[in-house]
Amino acid sequence: MYNFEFVKPSSIDEAVAALGEDEAQALGGGQTLIPTLKQRLARPARLVSLSGIAEMKGVGAEGGVLTIGGGTSHATVAAEAAGSYPALAALAGNIGDPAVRNRGTIGGSLANNDPSACYPAAALGSGATIVTNAREIAADDFFKGMFTTALEEGEIITAVRFPVPQAANYQKFEQPASRFALVGVFVARGGDGVRVAVTGASEEGVFRWSEAEAALASDFSTGAIEGLSVPADGMIADLHGSKAYRAHLVGVLTRRAVSAAS
Amino acid sequence: MSVSRALPHDAARLHVTGAARYVDDIPVPAGCLHLAFGLSTIARGAIRSMNLDEARGAPGVVAVLSAADLPFANDVSPSAHDEPLLATDRVHYLGQQLFLVVAESHLAARRAARLGRVEYDEEDPVLTIEQALAAGARFEEGPRIYEKGDARAAIAAAARTIEGTIEIGGQEHFYLEGQAALALPQEGGDMVVHSSTQHPTEIQHKVAEALGVPMHGVRVETRRMGGGFGGKESQGNALAVACAVAARLTGRACKMRYDRDDDMIVTGKRHDFRIAYRAGFDADGRIGGVEFVQYARCGWSQDLSLPVADRAMLHADNAYLLPACRIESHRLRTNTQSATAFRGFGGPQGMLGIERVMDHIAHELGLDPVELRRRNYYRAPGAGGLSAPRAAAPRPPESFPGKMKHVDPATDLTSRGAVSDLAPDRARAEGGGNTTPYGQAVNDFELHGITDVLMRTSDYDNRCRAVGEWNARGGPIRRGIAFSPVKFGISFTLTHLNQAGALVHVYQDGSVHLNHGGTEMGQGLFQKVAQVAASRFGIEPGAVKITATDTAKVPNTSATAASSGSDLNGMAVKAACDTIRGRMAEFLAELHQTVAAEVRFHDGRVRVGSHDMSFAEAAEAAYLGRVSLSATGYYRTPKLAWDRIRGVGRPFYYFAYGAAVSEVAVDIRSGEYRILRADILHDAGASLNPALDIGQIEGGYVQGAGWLTTEELVWDGKGRLRTQAPSTYKIPACADRPEVFNVALWDGANREDTIYRSKAVGEPPLMLGISAFLALSHAIASCGARYPALDAPATPEAVWAAVRRLGHGI
Amino acid sequence: MIEAVKSRSRKRLITLTVNGEEHEIAIRPNAMLVDVVRDQIGLTGTKSGCSSGSCGACTLLIDGRPMLACSTLAVECDGKAIRTVEDLADGERLSPIQEAFLDQGAVQCGFCTPGMLMSVTALIASNPKPSHQEIKKALEGNLCRCTGYNAIFNAVLQATGQDGIKPIMF
Repeated sequence: MYNFEFVKPSSIDEAVAALGEDEAQALGGGQTLIPTLKQRLARPARLVSLSGIAEMKGVGAEGGVLTIGGGTSHATVAAEAAGSYPALAALAGNIGDPAVRNRGTIGGSLANNDPSACYPAAALGSGATIVTNAREIAADDFFKGMFTTALEEGEIITAVRFPVPQAANYQKFEQPASRFALVGVFVARGGDGVRVAVTGASEEGVFRWSEAEAALASDFSTGAIEGLSVPADGMIADLHGSKAYRAHLVGVLTRRAVSAAS
Repeated sequence: MSVSRALPHDAARLHVTGAARYVDDIPVPAGCLHLAFGLSTIARGAIRSMNLDEARGAPGVVAVLSAADLPFANDVSPSAHDEPLLATDRVHYLGQQLFLVVAESHLAARRAARLGRVEYDEEDPVLTIEQALAAGARFEEGPRIYEKGDARAAIAAAARTIEGTIEIGGQEHFYLEGQAALALPQEGGDMVVHSSTQHPTEIQHKVAEALGVPMHGVRVETRRMGGGFGGKESQGNALAVACAVAARLTGRACKMRYDRDDDMIVTGKRHDFRIAYRAGFDADGRIGGVEFVQYARCGWSQDLSLPVADRAMLHADNAYLLPACRIESHRLRTNTQSATAFRGFGGPQGMLGIERVMDHIAHELGLDPVELRRRNYYRAPGAGGLSAPRAAAPRPPESFPGKMKHVDPATDLTSRGAVSDLAPDRARAEGGGNTTPYGQAVNDFELHGITDVLMRTSDYDNRCRAVGEWNARGGPIRRGIAFSPVKFGISFTLTHLNQAGALVHVYQDGSVHLNHGGTEMGQGLFQKVAQVAASRFGIEPGAVKITATDTAKVPNTSATAASSGSDLNGMAVKAACDTIRGRMAEFLAELHQTVAAEVRFHDGRVRVGSHDMSFAEAAEAAYLGRVSLSATGYYRTPKLAWDRIRGVGRPFYYFAYGAAVSEVAVDIRSGEYRILRADILHDAGASLNPALDIGQIEGGYVQGAGWLTTEELVWDGKGRLRTQAPSTYKIPACADRPEVFNVALWDGANREDTIYRSKAVGEPPLMLGISAFLALSHAIASCGARYPALDAPATPEAVWAAVRRLGHGI
Repeated sequence: MIEAVKSRSRKRLITLTVNGEEHEIAIRPNAMLVDVVRDQIGLTGTKSGCSSGSCGACTLLIDGRPMLACSTLAVECDGKAIRTVEDLADGERLSPIQEAFLDQGAVQCGFCTPGMLMSVTALIASNPKPSHQEIKKALEGNLCRCTGYNAIFNAVLQATGQDGIKPIMF
């Protein structure tokens, strides 16, 4: 791997300052970034590790809202959110493999916005709020297409706030080699309706399937969405699946998630 | 006796403590350099220019070599001299080695390897079977054809016929330890090479050629590989030769290992095949005639493709007596990685062809697929009928007076890619009627008994009924159950490779040093052979030191391949041990005034009449009595005579058998599936080590099922391998193992006189995985009336598409 | 305090406690943990299988949790405790999971074995009687190309005293 400068701040302020320099890149758990650097798809001059910032770690529930520090590992979420938000804990517990879950972080995953990652579906499906060092961003405004988010240069996800829904479920069809989502669907039913967020499928990255949401709002059952499907146009086609297959799976997994959440 | 005991792998203790050394773990001398190849970024074209200045100037770079810098031979092919180490004027696939970076570290080398500025005159690559056929891009002058009877007439005369085509994907070896080599320059221009290879002699040959020295100037050592599966039979040549050339040039030790992405892009894989078939049969499903046309995509160089394609033809019958059969084989040249050896060596593809035919016929007739197979099986030995007395075996070719052709000294005769015309006229069809399409009599057919027992132990009939009833309910989860047998021919089809040597020393303290030509890649060969040695001397296996394969100890070895490792090397070791034991016995008999036959070696003791001593005391006495306690051993497989051009003779000493029943569950809404249960009964003869054999069977089955289900290789239209990383190519993981996995050994001895009557077990179990593929087909078939005609690999999307093809509206 | 390395080429000193022994090591920021453990500390039991975080061969324990040494910067481990396969046996005495790997024939080529053992060690430390499902999940990142996983699975069951799994060696 090529060489770079490495800093490991211990507070958010220091991290923000360190990221203010040219060609600086935040490093979360590194489970995506390190392999990317090895492949030299990115060549930042300076890596700013967020792993030493205690205030960015941990899971806390209060008043029906689950707050997760941006530097919290998937394994910690899987363990500590199990009581308060089981669907989210289960999602976290099925990302990658144990080693990935021990290093990868929620902030890193959301900031990267890989079109096949699991967490974007949970954030969008839950109507979560992404908290950064500078502001709060609603999930609906956060995801801007594949590998693109509303984050400004040098902005850090310090926490994510999840309103805990009445019922929720995540279903993932794994791309078997990488265990990323070939298609993943997060369904949440809360006070203000139903949200259906789909990851892995679209060329635009994670998206909400509004037709299904509308149908489920009045009748939260698999029957309500039986004939519904998303158009194959705009779906990802790659060596792991065609557009038609992904579009089809969106329907299958949504019905599965609804069934599991009912 | 040590033989037949279930003992752990000889190095298991080293492995679990992290002490087992692979090439990359060997401590290197100070100043060791590291190598990386610069690779072609296009699949086909002429090299217009190559500017390596930037690579030469990169940090840590000691030298950058291109073809013109090579001192002697620029070839790393196993035999055909069509694989330059470094490309000269043209490139033939995306990933071909163009130049070699020698640097102070692995990373520095890899970094600089990307800095070559190469200009090409790019041409359209030949990638597909259609393109290769249209371009006439093939190896050998035309298709190879093996025939028995008049298949066309038999099909025309048959009451029923089917025809179809199956696409069969290739397979990445995915040995966990990537290719690696380390060259250590010695005094006087000699070279020592540590290589992760199944074929140290070939490495020795290629390195000697590249250094312009005789083979005696090169010593190759291989202690172990982290997996081989055929992928280290010829694919290690480039690394070893590169290291040796760079070490000669710099005078420093040189090491090279491929990172996984390079390994997957550069090295060859299992051949993908298309097999078109036509079969005629009667109302009871008895086959009258079959025609196969096999198309193999061989990649850019010949490598071992001819014998691979031959073996596919030789397994087109699998377990079935085909009255008339015609097999046409096209070996196509494409601008992709050079497909190479992979466990089964073409056999699996050929076998899948006829198993597809069986599956198709059973569906056509609505007949139980097991019953259909039994009706077409070869006859059991001694089953009467037309079976004539066994034909007299041809004499082993002792010598070839007047037959010796001039052999190009650059040809590596120990490669399976080598061509030998020695005495093919001895090859002729054997009689008896129970013969293969190539005229070998099947005299050891175990599958009637194996099938009977497996049907019982797997509770096949009841489960088959239950699956039918389950599917009749029409839910979204369908189940499938399928049986498939394996008959696999054991021997190198290049007859002269069926020989092996061993070197055994007994020291004065009674400890034994064992060496032979086979290599250890995880299969447990070293332990099996040590058990043979321990049994010959009547001592514990722990008293036998197993040592690294070394071309200076045993010369002119064949690759550890074709499942032959323990058959060949076990016999050679036995011969060496018996020589020493005979000398000891003779000496002790004389000392104690008895005859050698009265000297017994047992339980670590040596009994001479009424005298009893430890083996160590006996060894010491023999030493003091000036008896040589060192011997070589040699073995060659008898009875073989094969003409690969005419397709006639006896290529195999014997056959290994096995059978499996797999059950799967398929979610027809998504195409997802799981293997619920696998039951296997496998014939390892009188097993040398049941624990190791069962390990081979379990691993082989899962690898075979992976090949036909999740393991998909994808190239794009430019010839770039898109599945070039573990994150895009899916081998089975822990959760993919069958939830119920019952594996048993068939209780029988080899009818031929092999080492302790055992049978080879390396490759045959891979083909048991065919049953999982057929079980998926069975589950899918419940969705409609038509035959699913599933292609391999049956990925979830392929399964889903097949369900839709059957008209199921999900 | 921000600790920064101003020059990219300059090495920095980190402290790793590896298998209970403290090592002060000079490394560049881009050094991967697997290379430091293998080349600088000299513990070659940890294997480099894919170098891309996908095969599990380089799994070791960082502060008791299984992680991939090929996808972890060594500099990120400053002050942490690393445990590798070399630490599992107590002198000549193998740990129960090592014994079970021998007893079940769970080792073939052996290249996945160290990473596999570290994943299992972490599993058993937190969960002495893991269910089949938990075993599968614990091993989902460790690829083996030889065994078909059955013997490995049985070794975990034997080591945790479950399902009456007995050694198959005799």
